[in-house]
Amino acid sequence: MIELKRDSLVFSFNDVHPDAKLNIEFQRTLRIPDDDNDYPLPPGLGRFPMAHVDDHADNVPPAWLQRGGVMLPMYQSEAMWLNFNTTYVADRATAYPFAIKVAAGKVNAVTGETWVNGLGGNPQDYMVAPKQPWLDGYCVEKGLIRQFVAMPLGSGYSAEEQITGQAEFGGVQIVAYPMKREVFERRFPKVKARMMKACRGIDAELAMDFLEEPCGGAAMGLAPGGRMKQEILDDPFDINDWDTEHVSRCFVHICNSMVWHAITGKRPPTTPPTAKQYNQAGLPWFEYYAAEAKALKGSDVLNKLKSVAEMGKAKGDVPLPENESVEPKHTVHLRQGLAKDQVREGAF
Amino acid sequence: MHRPAGSGENVPARDQALKDTFGQYVRQRREDLKQADRRYSVRQVAARIGVEPSYLSKVERGDEAPPGERTIVALAAELDEDPDVLLALAGKVSTDLQEIIRKRPRLFADLLRELRNQPDHAVLRVVREVRDGEW
Repeated sequence: MIELKRDSLVFSFNDVHPDAKLNIEFQRTLRIPDDDNDYPLPPGLGRFPMAHVDDHADNVPPAWLQRGGVMLPMYQSEAMWLNFNTTYVADRATAYPFAIKVAAGKVNAVTGETWVNGLGGNPQDYMVAPKQPWLDGYCVEKGLIRQFVAMPLGSGYSAEEQITGQAEFGGVQIVAYPMKREVFERRFPKVKARMMKACRGIDAELAMDFLEEPCGGAAMGLAPGGRMKQEILDDPFDINDWDTEHVSRCFVHICNSMVWHAITGKRPPTTPPTAKQYNQAGLPWFEYYAAEAKALKGSDVLNKLKSVAEMGKAKGDVPLPENESVEPKHTVHLRQGLAKDQVREGAF
Repeated sequence: MHRPAGSGENVPARDQALKDTFGQYVRQRREDLKQADRRYSVRQVAARIGVEPSYLSKVERGDEAPPGERTIVALAAELDEDPDVLLALAGKVSTDLQEIIRKRPRLFADLLRELRNQPDHAVLRVVREVRDGEW
């Protein structure tokens, strides 16, 4: 079951395990420069507002109602990242694991393949939470992604249009599978009561013209933006550990922020700062290290996509009026799986 | 044997049971938190939710009736508890839920009576799901 709670999607699999809960937030962020430099992770500027498409049935295109799900507004000047949170199970000292597949315009963000139901292991076409805490874009190379940025569907920039030649779906598609209960209980046996106590309370850590167009004139698709350092991590478990009998999936439609008000009667958030403004203010960027985790090699299909800036140049467009390179001043290093104060060994 | 006729409810006994249940629950939860963090003493919790320590202490012992909705909601936030659950333990229903029922009384009365004896998993289906369509 999926619910929309406080602008995030809550996936619950009570029939698998009472703690099999996954929360996915869609975080607003700035567009990193699309200049072929490799940038650290940008900040989260808060959750996108979200609404059930059924609540605005008179104001959304018929195709959106057919696909169901939820919707959110995005400015062309902003970008998105997905934040995965799973429920911490104190008596097993772990968060309940999930396999999560994410696509944009039904193009898989990890492999670049068009959407198929189920999980693929070769190549791995999904991510595993909580090991993978975030997804900021398309996995183009080992340790590198191209940021999810919003472009009008039909303008030719989206990964969907570049790969399939069609501007049909747009939006983001998500499917989640919990770990099988028996596998979870075997892999993560109960811990002693004393440890439980220490962990208690910790939660381990998203108009008329519009209606007349078949896919909505203000519908947005995600296109590959600037390059960012982010690893998409290998599944540390076995593909058969995932409970593919229990699955929940959701279509997240994206509309231009300018029409959000026309659809919902509510104002969208203000536009985000540019990377330059953010950096000049001395605000932090982030790098994330997951100890003992292997990164996927990245998709050749996605790597061949033209970034928004490259496509704009080829078309003679200026899709990004603000695209100045920046030199991140202050980078915060976040790490998972290392003991406090443990020094991380890098590549040298 | 003489048996008093009545509504079937022993009101004073029910009120005392509510006081005891609510008080014991709050005390247990606060004491559990206090073991890891001393800020969960009666005095400090009372100060943070805006009541006198002696009052909170009496509530915990079942000597006083559970506090009003605003204080219970503050207490729930303080103890990391669900406010609706804490209100229910105090025999109350939150104002927003009352308002929802007042707007469509027949619908919600029927719905609640229908669900009264249903198992949790059946009730959970009533919670609004994000609808998946064809894509």
